[in-house]
Amino acid sequence: MRAQLMQRTLLSLVLGLLFLSTPAMGSCLDKYQELLGQLQKQADFMQHTSMLLDPYIRIQGLDKDGLKEYCQERPGTFPSKDALQQLSRQGFLHVINTTLGQVLHRLRTLLKDIPKAQDLEKLNMMKLHIRGFKNNIHCMAQLLPGSVEKTEPTPAGPAASPSPTPIPDAFQRRLEGCRFLHGYHRFMHSVGQVFREWGQSPSRSRRHSPRRGLRKGAHRTHLSRRNKRLKPRGWLPR
Amino acid sequence: MLSRSIKLGPKCKVEHCVQRDSCKSRENYSTTVKWNQVLRWSWESQLPLECTQHFVRMRSGAADAQIPEPRFWGDWTSWEEVAVQSSLGHHPLSVFPKDKLVEEGSNVTVCYVSRSHHNNISCYLEGIQIHGEQLDPNVCVFHLNNVPFIRDTGTNMYCKMDPGGVIKGIVLFVSKVFEEPKDFSCETRDLKTLSCTWDPGKDTGLLTQLSPSYTLFESFSGKKVICTHKSWCDWQAAPDSQEMYNFTLTAGNDLRKRSVHLLFNLTHRVHPMAPFNVLFKNVSPTNAAMTWRVHSIGNYSTLLCQVELYGEGKVIQKQNVSVVANGELLVRNLEPYTEYVAQVRCAHASHFWRWSEWTRDNFTTAEAAPSEAPDVWREVKSVQGHRVVTLFWKPLSKLQAKGKILFYNVVLENLDGPSTMKLLSIPAPANCTELALDHHSYQIHVTANNSVGTSPAAVITLSRDPGNKDVEEARVKGTKDGFSLSWKPQPRDVTGYIVEWCEHPRDPRCDLQWKSLGPNTTSTVVSSDAFRPGVRYNFRIYGISTERIPYLLEKKTGYSQELAPSDSPQVHIGNLTASSFTLSWKGWPAEPQPGFLRGYSLYLKSKAVQCLPGSEKAVLPDGSVCCKYKIDNPKQKTFVVQNLQPASFYEFFLTPYTSAGEGPLGTFTKVTTQDEYSRILIRILVPMILCILLLTILCYLKSQWMKEKCYPDIPDPYKSSVLSLIKSKENPRLTIMNVKDCVPDAIEVINKREGARKSLIETEPTKPTYLHLLPTEKSYPGPGPCICFENFTYNQAASESCGPVPGPPKEQPSQLGLLTSSENVLKALGKTYVNSLGEIPAGETNLNYVSQLASPLCGDKSSLPTNPPEPALCSEYKMQMAIPMGLASPPSITPLDEGEHYH
Repeated sequence: MRAQLMQRTLLSLVLGLLFLSTPAMGSCLDKYQELLGQLQKQADFMQHTSMLLDPYIRIQGLDKDGLKEYCQERPGTFPSKDALQQLSRQGFLHVINTTLGQVLHRLRTLLKDIPKAQDLEKLNMMKLHIRGFKNNIHCMAQLLPGSVEKTEPTPAGPAASPSPTPIPDAFQRRLEGCRFLHGYHRFMHSVGQVFREWGQSPSRSRRHSPRRGLRKGAHRTHLSRRNKRLKPRGWLPR
Repeated sequence: MLSRSIKLGPKCKVEHCVQRDSCKSRENYSTTVKWNQVLRWSWESQLPLECTQHFVRMRSGAADAQIPEPRFWGDWTSWEEVAVQSSLGHHPLSVFPKDKLVEEGSNVTVCYVSRSHHNNISCYLEGIQIHGEQLDPNVCVFHLNNVPFIRDTGTNMYCKMDPGGVIKGIVLFVSKVFEEPKDFSCETRDLKTLSCTWDPGKDTGLLTQLSPSYTLFESFSGKKVICTHKSWCDWQAAPDSQEMYNFTLTAGNDLRKRSVHLLFNLTHRVHPMAPFNVLFKNVSPTNAAMTWRVHSIGNYSTLLCQVELYGEGKVIQKQNVSVVANGELLVRNLEPYTEYVAQVRCAHASHFWRWSEWTRDNFTTAEAAPSEAPDVWREVKSVQGHRVVTLFWKPLSKLQAKGKILFYNVVLENLDGPSTMKLLSIPAPANCTELALDHHSYQIHVTANNSVGTSPAAVITLSRDPGNKDVEEARVKGTKDGFSLSWKPQPRDVTGYIVEWCEHPRDPRCDLQWKSLGPNTTSTVVSSDAFRPGVRYNFRIYGISTERIPYLLEKKTGYSQELAPSDSPQVHIGNLTASSFTLSWKGWPAEPQPGFLRGYSLYLKSKAVQCLPGSEKAVLPDGSVCCKYKIDNPKQKTFVVQNLQPASFYEFFLTPYTSAGEGPLGTFTKVTTQDEYSRILIRILVPMILCILLLTILCYLKSQWMKEKCYPDIPDPYKSSVLSLIKSKENPRLTIMNVKDCVPDAIEVINKREGARKSLIETEPTKPTYLHLLPTEKSYPGPGPCICFENFTYNQAASESCGPVPGPPKEQPSQLGLLTSSENVLKALGKTYVNSLGEIPAGETNLNYVSQLASPLCGDKSSLPTNPPEPALCSEYKMQMAIPMGLASPPSITPLDEGEHYH
């Protein structure tokens, strides 16, 4: 009963956030604080493993003691919190947008291995959440002053994206999927924390020593010196 | 899986070995071959090829039936190695087979291959560790028998390598057993299209891409259809060219195929479509003609149609009709003005296969004239010398009305006067009318009318005599099923009986009800949903004479269920004596009660352990014990409680009771009986008080006389006759001495020990101390100084504390010696008093001389400028002045004794 209530509350929260997210309807919210608050709440919501990882583990039969320990984020799949903190605001938004684009693509692949419609329905909901979040990211990028490169809003349909490295057998696909989703939730947690460090005004720069960030991940991170843009595959160190 | 393309003879035998010296399987393969034909033969090794090296060889032989046994085989080919392991790469650990699809209950062989046999490898099936057979140091084989279906996404089997944390595994896709289609059936509705259906059975739980496929094959025509749905498929029939059909439904997935067969004649599988265009014509009060149409099936096909007629939810008629194209049926024996539902369905008449769906419609028969007279009754009241008759009638039942009742006709016929008739038409749905009539006899005819006609008339006669003879009311016991009433049969002719009652007797409108009974009936049960427990219902039983005049026979009253009283009477106490008191509740109405009142219960509480005669012990709901008096007469309104103890406390409570029980217990009333000797005492005391009062009045009236007798006036020395005598004979200067003229020369101070508060009698004689006062400069011509105090006054407050002996404060002679006049003395005394009070130890001096002028009030201790002396030491001298009442306590003048004078 309590779980149902929790689920309903979360669902209503998400729907509310989605409906509040005006970019989904074609226009952006121009209030910085309100938009930032929405992004924080969305990130908080999406970091819950109950929304994606937990059902995936259950459906794929990975909820066994010997297997859970292998369901850990593979380093380098998602940018670390440190790396995100060292980005400029525009760069931060761009990395989120790009990373979530990969997540959407990977979700489509993962969902192919799930036969039951009711399980698919749950996981498909998360795709909607991610699209809503990406739209808000796009709107936030427009609010930031002096942004040279804006993030693009997420189309409603499936987007063409490079396919991941093929994994030969179903078991390895499951483990990789599990690790990926674990990293996704951790990434959203970091995103939420970084958003909380943002100031009251869109004009204040929050960047902490971007050069140090560049140096730190120089051997694996390919960042444009102009835009501090992260490459899609997220090679930032954790 | 091995796949080889080889040239073989008619029959081949293949031997498959894991190792050259241990052959695991040997299989035969037979086929008809042509010369130089290339054959392809695939078989699957139970042990995955990746697990270890496999070797295979084959030989062939002729399997022609014309060749008798023994048949000869050719030579074996050389062993051919199948080495898949070399293509595995350099993974430290691998598990095989990958993503295998098996059916539930199958046996599966799984192996792992490690690159180093120094590692510790453990394997798990769904989290449970399993142990295998070591094929070589790097390969271990696991035989999984009878694998179960666990989930749609398959069963996980994996191996972990320590150290290194490498994990490799496989997913075993286990399908549920694919079932054979059930209830395979085909039918046609128009002889053109066959519709085949089946039950696919339970889901295999496989992934969607592995879902089963269904194929329909007809052997006579050789046609085949791939079905797009999992439970039905359509087939285009050819009625002109093909009558028989032999279908094979094949269902299959990657693991298994299932087939079912069906052979039938097309005309025997006709399932007609539902009839249409159902109509009702020539609808009369009792008959209707029903018509419908059917869809044609081929040429000249005859259908059998079934018609059902529903009235009020029940099937009342069922008929079968043969139809070619149009159906028709005359429905008879219907009720007028009644709604019916008719439905029809059809089937093939020659070869019944299945009924069509029902087609239904409803209709209502026409009206007819009402068949019964309404049930009529009346209520007669006398208002201001006139008769007011309220005429009631019950609405006719549907069967009796035979249509919608539009109005009621009431015809009044005066039987006493000239034959006149008056007609009243009252529109439905009214069920009563009020008539103001004179005291003549009237006959009233009531008829009900619908659009077709009039009902027979109900007749009732009102005679001049109201007929309200005195009939004793009898009690009747009701039940939840109603009241069972009976009455004596009437000796004279009656046409029937009427029982009337009010359904809501507490309501002023009463809601009069009646029940009409036949002439041979002498009992009935009156029941109603309106009957409520605790309500008294009154029944009147009338006989109806042959002249249609009702006359009262009996009265009955009763409750459907008696209840206990809901309240208790207000009781008044009277005639309270030492041994009894009387209770009275005359003002309490005994009616109406929720049951027949049977009496009263009186509860009496007292300290006495035993109950008085006439009462018995009873335990109250709160557990207390008291005595209970039973008053069996419900009409009794007083009760005397006797044999009580004088001056005793009692509590009582009176409650009525019915057959259902007593009323609620309320607050007990307290009463105390009178004292037995109080009257005697009153008889003595009252005269005594009167006497004393009389005596007091008498004394008051004679107070002057009493004073003269008991307390005569002290003679005034100025007015004394002796004074005049002295004046005349001796010194003319001699007169009464004034205090102003006195010069004090000595003051007697009486010392007292502690405890000076003793009475004079108890006080030991004290030795007076004299203070010698110096004479003033002015010498007196008299015989020497003297001191004379006239009429000392003592403050009562001081005197109370100080004791009866007043005295001046103790002063040093030297101080006193400085004073030269009496005024000075007084002044000094007053001043010294104040000063010396603090200095004189308590108890040393028992008399303080206080100047009237400088004296603080004794009672006002807080106003003392210095520490006030002990109240016992306080005594004041006051000059002859009026002391305000507010400043001094009520004066208590104590006469000075001899030894306490100031000198």
